[in-house]
Amino acid sequence: MIDYKKKLDTLSLQIKSIFSGHPIAIAGLIGFIIFVLTALLAPWIAPQNPYDLMILDIMDGLLPPLSKLGNGNTAWLGTDALGRDILSAVMYGLRLSLFVAFVAVSIGTTIGVILGLLAATKGGWVESVIMRAVDLKVSFPGILLALMMLAIFGTGVDKIIYALIIGVWASKARLTRSSALQEMQKEYIDAARISGIPSWRIMMKFLLPNSIAPVLVMVPMALSGAIGAEATLSFLGVGVPITEPSLGLLIANGNDYLLSGKWWISIFPGIILVLLVLCINVVADRVREFNNPYLKHQDRQ
Amino acid sequence: MISYITKRLWQSGLLAFIMSLIVFLGMYVVGDPVEMLSEEDWTEQDKIELAIELGLDKPLHEQYLNFAGDIIQGDFGVSFVHNRPVLDLIVERLPATLEIAVLAMVIGLSIGIPLGIYSGIKNNSRGSRIISFFSTIGYSTPNFWQAILLIMVFAVFLKWLPASGRGLTNSMFGIEWAWLSLDGLKHMTLPAINLAIYKICMQQRLAKSGTQEILYQEYMTFARAKGITRNRIIRRHLLRNILIPIVTITGLEVGGLIAFSTVTETIFSWPGIGKLLLDSIHMVDRPVVVAYLILITLMFVFINFIVDVMYAFLDPRIRHQK
Amino acid sequence: MNKSQVLQIKNLTVSYPLDSEKNAELKALDDISINLNAAEIIGIVGESGAGKSTIGKAVLGLLDPPAKMLAGEIKLLGKSMIGLNETQYESLRGNQIGYIYQNPMTALNPVLTIGEQIIEAIEANTNMSGKDSYNFAIHLLERADVSFAKDRLQKYPHQLSGGLCQRIVFAIAIAAKPKLIIADEPTTALDVTVQNSVLQTLIKLSKEEEIAIILITHDIGVVSETCDYVYVLKNGKHIEQGETVEVLEKPKQQYTKSLMASVPLIEKRLHRFSLPNSNSEINSLNLDYLKEERNIEFSSQQAILQIKNISKTFFTPASIFKPSEAFEAVRNVSFSVKRGETVGIVGESGSGKSTIGRMILGLEDLTAGSIIYQGQDLSNISNNEERLKHQLSMQCIFQDPFSSLNPRMTAGENITYGLKIHKLIDANKAKSLAEDLMEIVGLKKEDANKLPHAFSGGERQRIGIARALGYRPDFIFCDEPTSALDVSVQANLLNLLKDLQDQFSLTLLFVSHDLAVIRQMCDKVIVMKDGKALEKGNNDDIFESPQHNYTKSLLDSMPKFSGIATN
Repeated sequence: MIDYKKKLDTLSLQIKSIFSGHPIAIAGLIGFIIFVLTALLAPWIAPQNPYDLMILDIMDGLLPPLSKLGNGNTAWLGTDALGRDILSAVMYGLRLSLFVAFVAVSIGTTIGVILGLLAATKGGWVESVIMRAVDLKVSFPGILLALMMLAIFGTGVDKIIYALIIGVWASKARLTRSSALQEMQKEYIDAARISGIPSWRIMMKFLLPNSIAPVLVMVPMALSGAIGAEATLSFLGVGVPITEPSLGLLIANGNDYLLSGKWWISIFPGIILVLLVLCINVVADRVREFNNPYLKHQDRQ
Repeated sequence: MISYITKRLWQSGLLAFIMSLIVFLGMYVVGDPVEMLSEEDWTEQDKIELAIELGLDKPLHEQYLNFAGDIIQGDFGVSFVHNRPVLDLIVERLPATLEIAVLAMVIGLSIGIPLGIYSGIKNNSRGSRIISFFSTIGYSTPNFWQAILLIMVFAVFLKWLPASGRGLTNSMFGIEWAWLSLDGLKHMTLPAINLAIYKICMQQRLAKSGTQEILYQEYMTFARAKGITRNRIIRRHLLRNILIPIVTITGLEVGGLIAFSTVTETIFSWPGIGKLLLDSIHMVDRPVVVAYLILITLMFVFINFIVDVMYAFLDPRIRHQK
Repeated sequence: MNKSQVLQIKNLTVSYPLDSEKNAELKALDDISINLNAAEIIGIVGESGAGKSTIGKAVLGLLDPPAKMLAGEIKLLGKSMIGLNETQYESLRGNQIGYIYQNPMTALNPVLTIGEQIIEAIEANTNMSGKDSYNFAIHLLERADVSFAKDRLQKYPHQLSGGLCQRIVFAIAIAAKPKLIIADEPTTALDVTVQNSVLQTLIKLSKEEEIAIILITHDIGVVSETCDYVYVLKNGKHIEQGETVEVLEKPKQQYTKSLMASVPLIEKRLHRFSLPNSNSEINSLNLDYLKEERNIEFSSQQAILQIKNISKTFFTPASIFKPSEAFEAVRNVSFSVKRGETVGIVGESGSGKSTIGRMILGLEDLTAGSIIYQGQDLSNISNNEERLKHQLSMQCIFQDPFSSLNPRMTAGENITYGLKIHKLIDANKAKSLAEDLMEIVGLKKEDANKLPHAFSGGERQRIGIARALGYRPDFIFCDEPTSALDVSVQANLLNLLKDLQDQFSLTLLFVSHDLAVIRQMCDKVIVMKDGKALEKGNNDDIFESPQHNYTKSLLDSMPKFSGIATN
């Protein structure tokens, strides 16, 4: 019988012990939750739908923050050249940026964990092939690889997700393998083997839950990395399509107007992007610190 | 030691081979060069002739051998856009990338590592907290956004430094360098700082965690129990051990520098190979993209090899591996 | 007393603040007083958590950060050490006080040569430099009985054995002719034959260089061979002190008495360790299940397990640059185990003793030979069901209590998971079976719901035993099951094993590096070295009239402790 309430209690206790006494990390966590909620609820809370070109009025173009629009609404953060409300564009951009990063990191991590477990348990040529592929990937900077892929296969939301997955899986596979190999040295795995428990059960019920922790610790880091990479690629014009701007593309769109003093088009998406990545990184740092035995030592001082 | 190096050398060769295969397949098999090169008014016959001229009628492995053979002879083809040999284009622009990359590297290492070691040793001190705070902000800010802010502040508002181009260059060993003139140096400053900020933050973080890991090793306590002074422990026991992770990081970071130079060069209109790559991607100048990829791969393979050899020098446990 | 007093510790109290509650603290040391004279070796003994190591660290000023010295006085050569700053401590460490670690491999810096590490210690604490300190380094290594001293200076720690590294640590410790050396479990990581000679070196250095030594150890045998005077600690509190012989053989305190009674003796085999018996009769509902299919031919003279000429060779993976290298872990070993008896395999690390067990359990393939279990050659069973039945009737009790249970499953799940997979029991009976098994191994029923980290090492070993018992095994391979445990926990566990063996008609193959444990547990003994079985025989024969030279040297190097004087 699995006691879900008890598991939930231990989880909340753990979250408490990770964050208590670390106000910056708490602020990061709260900030991140707000960003996620905004992204989820964007279609309902945004003043307009920035993807709907029909409702845009070119007369509203390039208005500074707090201006009145033709339809009487206020553009709190100004408008861009097409007359798009920046606040709405930022909310939808946030939604797209988070979506792309979430999907890419979860698929990439899953692939990495599965490959890592396979490499650790199968050994032999399976392990050789997987680990050489990991070496190959790791010796190459992710952003360059993504640039190449997008150059070959073209751009689009699906393409950029593929490109980001390529960036995520390898380090997770390496981490899972080394942590699984360490677990496999332990005697409870031998105990399961001599009791004739099928190897896939050993993998799922014994190895996976005990070797996944170091990978999970790295997930927030991968998430912020993916958000940054997507923004960079979109900024360079090889990421998401122009019709569905993410934060990076919004910044690129505004970049041309920066020198002419129309700062709000780039600055607001830029601030949100930095805050988002920062929130995730302070949480990621705290989680990593909490799981690092060397740092933990000093933590108690 | 020698067997370790030959082993690494062999692995490097294998890596280069596989990468060239991937680039070849990605570029020549997924895309159709005939469609790319043919004009609108060409007949089917013209296209077939072009395919034969390019060797596309031959079996795949022969095509690859031709491809690899040309590369080994230094023949990367001719750029569609510039109508010049690709290798010339790249060699011409390499110095521009190298000078900002090297400058950024020097800044990154000389600031990032000392800060990292300091904040590792004095963890939880006020100084360490301030350093870590700024480094967290630094590496949380995407490279291109930092570039925009740098331009806004130093070029637009303060008007201290130019925001684009390479400025005046002077010749040295027959190569044009920007750092030999004051104007060139001014132009270099913002791109180099842009590349360096991320390096500083990364090096600081990695040096910090490396320091702390070593500080809690038993031999550090034993060194204290031996009666050796704190300074000497840091100089000899800490630095010698911390060099190992730092060399790895530095090796990896060279790759990162080259990768992010594409972003920096594009924003600052710095005429290096990174900007060449992005322009070529946008203009579908395939030979340039292929050549860039191959050369960069070879460079990474070489860097990884150097890092492995350095390991052997720094860590006796690897040196004595049979 | 003409000898000068080196160290005086008075009413020392050290505490750690506890994470969980505010203002709560754990007293690692509570009101401890110790006196030590020149050229004297005192032992500080106690089980884990006794605070032994904290004494050494407090004297050196190297207490781990959250620990605080609350009260007390430490005087070195009559001078108080309380309130010294780091610089003052630096001039004392090495110079006046040397320190020796448990694990020499981690105490030496892996990237510096032995020479660099000794010479820096010499130069930090004396006026020597250059050629002088180089020559002095060689001299020190020779004093610490390191052979080929000159060559060793060029080596790195990983190129030398553990015993040699420990001697090098000795050489570093005596570099500045300190008045006091603190040795924290200096031989625990070493094999018994090496341990003996390393201890002899330590005693020699103490007497010849007039160094006072604090020897911190859990090993009563080591204390009895080495120390002049002994302090017994428990949970940070002083229990008893006195001349070594007095304390070990005529202990006055109850704790010391039971501690000494727990030490396995090499001289004679006892029926059980004389401990208060906690085992009550268990009326388990599931006793029928556990005892089913049993008691057939128990104590008959039939062999349950026959090992015929087995060998195991490990190969390093081959590559283009290097042909694969062979390592013969087990070489042509044969023996047989009769129903209901306990056969012991004893040997030092790397002797191949555990590999034999792993081959029997099917965790390693055989390179040559055959294993016949219950009349059948294990490699020749084609029927899967039959093979599984044989496999399940052979179980194992593992060495490391901290890795032998799945940390993500409760104790109960750990015990019954495999039984449920194989449908040996109904899922709804699993809980009650797990609880009964917990009781049978001397744990509380309710604790079946707890995760492994809530248990101590000894308790986890009991859960491991319960897990093995669930399969109703005929044969259990015990792979150093007590080597990670405190001596009193070990004694209780060994008593339990003997009880269970009687109750469930078990046959045991017992592997250990500890001769005394083998002496107490086994009917027959096999002595192994470098993969070969050197000597086989009955318990008494092996221990009282060993034939092979290696067996004799093993017995000679065992630290001697003859137990509490019986009246």
